[in-house]
Amino acid sequence: MKKIPVTVLTGFLGSGKTTLLNRILTENHGKRIAVIENEFGEIGIDQALVINADEEIFEMNNGCICCTVRGDLIRILGNLMKRRDKFDHILVETTGMADPGPVAQTFFVDDDLRELFSLDGIVTLVDAKHVSLHLEDSNECKEQIAFADVLVLNKTDLVSEAELDALERRVSAMNSMAKVLRSQNADVPIAQVLDIGGFDLERAVAAKPSFLTPEYPFEWAGTFNLGEGIYELALEEGPDPAMTLVASYLEPDERASSKSAADRALHTWSESPLEVLPSGIVEIGSKQPALLLIEGRPIKRYQLRAPRPGRVGLYAQHLPAEFQMRLLDRGARVLPVAEQEFAAAHSHDESVTSVGIHLEGAIDGARLDKWVSALLRDKGADIFRMKGILNIAGAENRFVFQGVHMLFDGREDRPWGDTHRANDLVFIGRKLDREALTRGFERCLV
Amino acid sequence: MPRVEPESTRGTTELVPLWRHDVGDYLSAAEISPDGRLCIAGAGTGVLVGLDLETGEQRFRVHAHDDGVLALSIAPDSTRFVTCGHTQTAKVWSASGELLFELPGGGPAWVERVAWAPSGARIATGAGRIVRIWSAGGALLAEPEPLASTVSGLVWRADGTALAASAYGGVTVIPVVDNAKVRRLEWKGSLISLAWSPDAKVIACGSQDSSVHFWRLGNGKDSEMSGYPFKPKALAWDGESKLLATSGDAAVTVWDFRGNGPEGTKPIQLAGHKSVCTRLAFSPRKGVLASGAQDMSVLIWEPRRSVEPIGFAFLEDEVTALVWHPEHRGLLGGDASGNLVYWKGN
Repeated sequence: MKKIPVTVLTGFLGSGKTTLLNRILTENHGKRIAVIENEFGEIGIDQALVINADEEIFEMNNGCICCTVRGDLIRILGNLMKRRDKFDHILVETTGMADPGPVAQTFFVDDDLRELFSLDGIVTLVDAKHVSLHLEDSNECKEQIAFADVLVLNKTDLVSEAELDALERRVSAMNSMAKVLRSQNADVPIAQVLDIGGFDLERAVAAKPSFLTPEYPFEWAGTFNLGEGIYELALEEGPDPAMTLVASYLEPDERASSKSAADRALHTWSESPLEVLPSGIVEIGSKQPALLLIEGRPIKRYQLRAPRPGRVGLYAQHLPAEFQMRLLDRGARVLPVAEQEFAAAHSHDESVTSVGIHLEGAIDGARLDKWVSALLRDKGADIFRMKGILNIAGAENRFVFQGVHMLFDGREDRPWGDTHRANDLVFIGRKLDREALTRGFERCLV
Repeated sequence: MPRVEPESTRGTTELVPLWRHDVGDYLSAAEISPDGRLCIAGAGTGVLVGLDLETGEQRFRVHAHDDGVLALSIAPDSTRFVTCGHTQTAKVWSASGELLFELPGGGPAWVERVAWAPSGARIATGAGRIVRIWSAGGALLAEPEPLASTVSGLVWRADGTALAASAYGGVTVIPVVDNAKVRRLEWKGSLISLAWSPDAKVIACGSQDSSVHFWRLGNGKDSEMSGYPFKPKALAWDGESKLLATSGDAAVTVWDFRGNGPEGTKPIQLAGHKSVCTRLAFSPRKGVLASGAQDMSVLIWEPRRSVEPIGFAFLEDEVTALVWHPEHRGLLGGDASGNLVYWKGN
């Protein structure tokens, strides 16, 4: 029997949940939809059954966070299944302050619901104008973003394009797995929010292989056409006392942001850096990154040496605006021919982040099992979601898995065939230690 | 589809059906009137049927609750019954299927629980966190303080002097006699099923965390029985208040309360179903137990004598109702496809 998909709509009060819900219900999709609403809105749609229910969070006696479930959902969905003429889709609209964890866990933990329903996805509405305020002081807001399969940046008409870009970078740094959509009046295509298979590994992997694209340690890449000689790189004080920079030559038609160039920069980035004090020299094409020590006079000037003319990529750990960084040629500003910002893997100001790890080689299944078990036992409360595709030594098939807090669901997937065997793992959580996670994962290699 | 293999039913006899009836949709509730004459069943469409228990002949068929019947309870004198479903009121009917009056649950939630007191004088309803106690004539007698969460079970004491209501966090025992106090039986967990022993000494509950918890009301002591792979949704006491049958696995687990038990004792395990047990009913005849499961099988046991079933039958879908005739003349079973079968008792 096909399981009935469930979509969870979360978002703060005023983010547009009810607007999106109404749009889904009025759209002519031919589905029989039942809605469970924890927030008493004004919905009056004939073809859908709308059930109002108080959110009931049930913790179990064992005190395990992964056993915290939503009693109202278990009861109501159980009752809804007592009919032959069942529903095609269930929508759950949570309260603005809801923690999505227990909602997701309910569908993993409860015997009956696990058998009859599948969690299709968590869609989080974000009020583009006001979310920054909530992000500062609300754990729920961070968790709603962290748990999402789809993030809808709503009310885009109230903010500038630049603010939207910054917001998208910020939420993507928190949750690199989610697809980010923009909307004015929650007017996103229904196909982008329903039947998205967010918790269905096969589909998630098939539909969005990019969810595992490596994150770069730099936030910005600029492409410059430079002649031979010494340029000046001017910086002012910023959020950190130092900043890493890679300066490299590009192919004539290449941009700094193109994957091939960015991957080469990533390679250089991983070498131990050369510390450079103001007035010191940064050599373009060096095999090592430069660590600019930002001290001394208000404006720090470093020398950027171009041993030959050509196209140059500059990769900076932070956005140039954060340090007022600019490139000068005898006092005149040199503008990039192209530049791009990246959702950086690192993040100083967010307690909720994503950590993506890519490893070549094969994994020892037993070691992995031990590592993941210990990790979830110790850090499960802080790990909101994780997904991975692994190359287990000796296995013909890919091993795919996902988890919510301490709950873990993994299985063999299709054969690797001719595709490149490698391991990709993404964690979304609070206070994640990227280095410890990477080291732990590396120790699982055969 | 899983079936009971012939080997496991060796030495058992197949139950003889007296009649069958198709209710038309998921059979969500079924009861036999205490006088043994009428069978009343409710379905997922909201339909309610009354059948002559002897012949299976339909006496009435009414649409009772939009979108589904959830529970029903028959008055001890068999003249009336109360139903609830996906509606904000419970409904009281005559034995011939005429709507007499409605009992508003007291809030926006569906009335999910109804229980007619064994004394006949009172009716209890549970809707969301609100418990209401009514006179048999429909007058609101009491509305205790709302529970901590939605009422998950509502059972009267055998003599009708108190009502037990389970929810997340414990059981509330509400007396209906003067000068008695409400009693709270605390348990940090979500209680999903409730059974009060006929001798009124023990209240047992199944819990969301796959355990069974029970309280001895005499000394207030409580115990927990854990290790079930699934939620124990069905519980049944035998007429002697000595055996408590519990679901929570394909095998039925029976705890023996004689002597110092069941603490520290090994339960009787009745293995026969191929998937999770969903319904349990002890016959008023000493020690005969009927169990039904997701695999559509119904098995009859005498747990004190043997761990092998003595009888079996099949429905056509997950078993959703099992009720014995008050004098053990027959067994009524219903399933998730709306089949209702009445088998001969032995």
